[in-house]
Amino acid sequence: MILQQLVNTVILGSNYALMAIGLTIVFGILGIVNLAHGEMFMVGAFVAFFIVAILKGNFFLALLGAMVAIAVLGVILERATFRKLRGGAEVNYFILSMGLLIVIQNAALLLFGTDPHSMSLPAAAQVIDLGVVMLTTQRLIIVATAVIIIFALHFFIKYTRMGMSMRGVEQDFEGAQTVGISINKVASFTFALSGALAGAAGALMGSLYIVQSTMGFSPLIKAFTVVVLGGLGSIMGAIVGGLILAAAEIFGGVYISSGYQEAFSFIILIIALSIKPSGLFGKK
Amino acid sequence: MNNKTTYISSIILVIVLLILPFVLPEYPLHLFALCGIWIILVLSLCLLQGYIGELSMGHAAFFGIGAYSSVFMTMFGGFSFWAALPLSGIVAMIFGYLIGLVALRLRGPYFAIVTLGFAEIIRMVLVNWKDVSGGPDGIIGIPPPDSIWLPLIGQISFAGKIASYFLIYIFVAVTVYVVYRIVKSLMGYAVVSVREDLDYAECVGINTTRWKRFIFSISAFFAGLAGSLFAHYVHFISPYSFGVSESFDLVIMIIVGGTGTIIGPIIGAVLLTLLPELLHAIKDFRMLIYGAILVVIIMYAPGGIAGLLKSFSNRYFPNLTTKKGI
Repeated sequence: MILQQLVNTVILGSNYALMAIGLTIVFGILGIVNLAHGEMFMVGAFVAFFIVAILKGNFFLALLGAMVAIAVLGVILERATFRKLRGGAEVNYFILSMGLLIVIQNAALLLFGTDPHSMSLPAAAQVIDLGVVMLTTQRLIIVATAVIIIFALHFFIKYTRMGMSMRGVEQDFEGAQTVGISINKVASFTFALSGALAGAAGALMGSLYIVQSTMGFSPLIKAFTVVVLGGLGSIMGAIVGGLILAAAEIFGGVYISSGYQEAFSFIILIIALSIKPSGLFGKK
Repeated sequence: MNNKTTYISSIILVIVLLILPFVLPEYPLHLFALCGIWIILVLSLCLLQGYIGELSMGHAAFFGIGAYSSVFMTMFGGFSFWAALPLSGIVAMIFGYLIGLVALRLRGPYFAIVTLGFAEIIRMVLVNWKDVSGGPDGIIGIPPPDSIWLPLIGQISFAGKIASYFLIYIFVAVTVYVVYRIVKSLMGYAVVSVREDLDYAECVGINTTRWKRFIFSISAFFAGLAGSLFAHYVHFISPYSFGVSESFDLVIMIIVGGTGTIIGPIIGAVLLTLLPELLHAIKDFRMLIYGAILVVIIMYAPGGIAGLLKSFSNRYFPNLTTKKGI
């Protein structure tokens, strides 16, 4: 029983981490708290759903499609809105993204209605029985994909030229400009990466549960909690925070009370921030 | 605006507010009464945002705490509404103080998520604690405020809309006055200290935490009062009246109306309460339009409607404005 919960924790935690990393890189590099991140997740889930249900594509095509589509959406949002506020107060980004959240969510409500959709993948029905632990092939695919994406991102940021530029901007905004790094390029690229991660998380979570126009808000709050818990801007913090949050929800939900499942994450967050106000892996 | 125009426009506003209930039909009057409750709420948040400089994403929680505690006290505790009203403000204030102990150490996004977290925990308790809160179904049949006897006027019953309207707007006036006094005195305090001596200002800065807690508690107090007024005015409460979307509505009202002013958030509250009623045809698009307005305001007019009005009057009626501005 405990082992089964641990496996569930890793599955949920890897998805929280995927969402949270997308949110945290945009904050770390550009100083933007993007509240529309959950809506990008939702649109990603719909893209994946349409590819599977209407175009009859397989799941990996849907995943790729969602990542590309939301990366493009991220770049559009950056160029059309966030870029215009650069240099102003950070709270303006916050309010802007709140506006974008409301616009995207309500546009989706008008377009897709409130009906839940299911991708009904064949892999979701195949059960792998490992004796003590049971899980479906789809859950295995989800964990593997999330881990691969997180590692790929790590190597990208560490070793590629664009990754280095991003780290340069993160460390010193003006210094990076002085040495000839284009802030506009880095900003667009960061939003593209963040969007790809949100799209991937949307496709993965959408394949596990349901796809619905209101599905974006809860993961946003979860990712936000994870990011703040781990320390804003820290990728390592997002991974550890994601696992802690998933463990709190699953074990708290099973062993304490399922009615308060959502509250456990906030309780952990409040305790952690009371002890260390900059988050577990935060600077300062 | 100079003092003379401020006085004249305030007097006109008060006269209009006094005449409204006698000329308006019942439903529009009801909307104006609701506007009053939102004005109290938005001003309490405005105090927080203006002085502490942080945006709370969970302010509706104090509204909810006020509403529920007032209902407990009157329906189950045998209290009169007139005792429960200030007491529910004080209950919200105690919660505000306690939450402030944690939240006020944090800044920016950390502050935002922790206030939202507290609000969600409180809402979940209301949903799950069925014996006391009625659970997700809420509590129905909340009585109106007890009738009172006033000299010259006589017995007043609050079962009707007109008396309730006046009751709500008396508290709007109290809130406007208190917020105005606090903003004036604290701003004067900070400005003088920085001007006289920077070291002295830093010394004053040591006390900022205490001031912040004070402001946060006062802000929660007024939100609690609004909750009590709301519960006994609409006679029904449920956890869904005090959720994230209500907290977001408050932030939208402040930003659209204009931060850093008192009149701005009031305009925002009235506009956002009346707009969907005036434009019935666009009811489905209500939130979409709000979101779009928020995006446009923050990108092109960060001062909100109050900022637009100010630059408009500066441009076309320069003789109305003194050197200090509004």
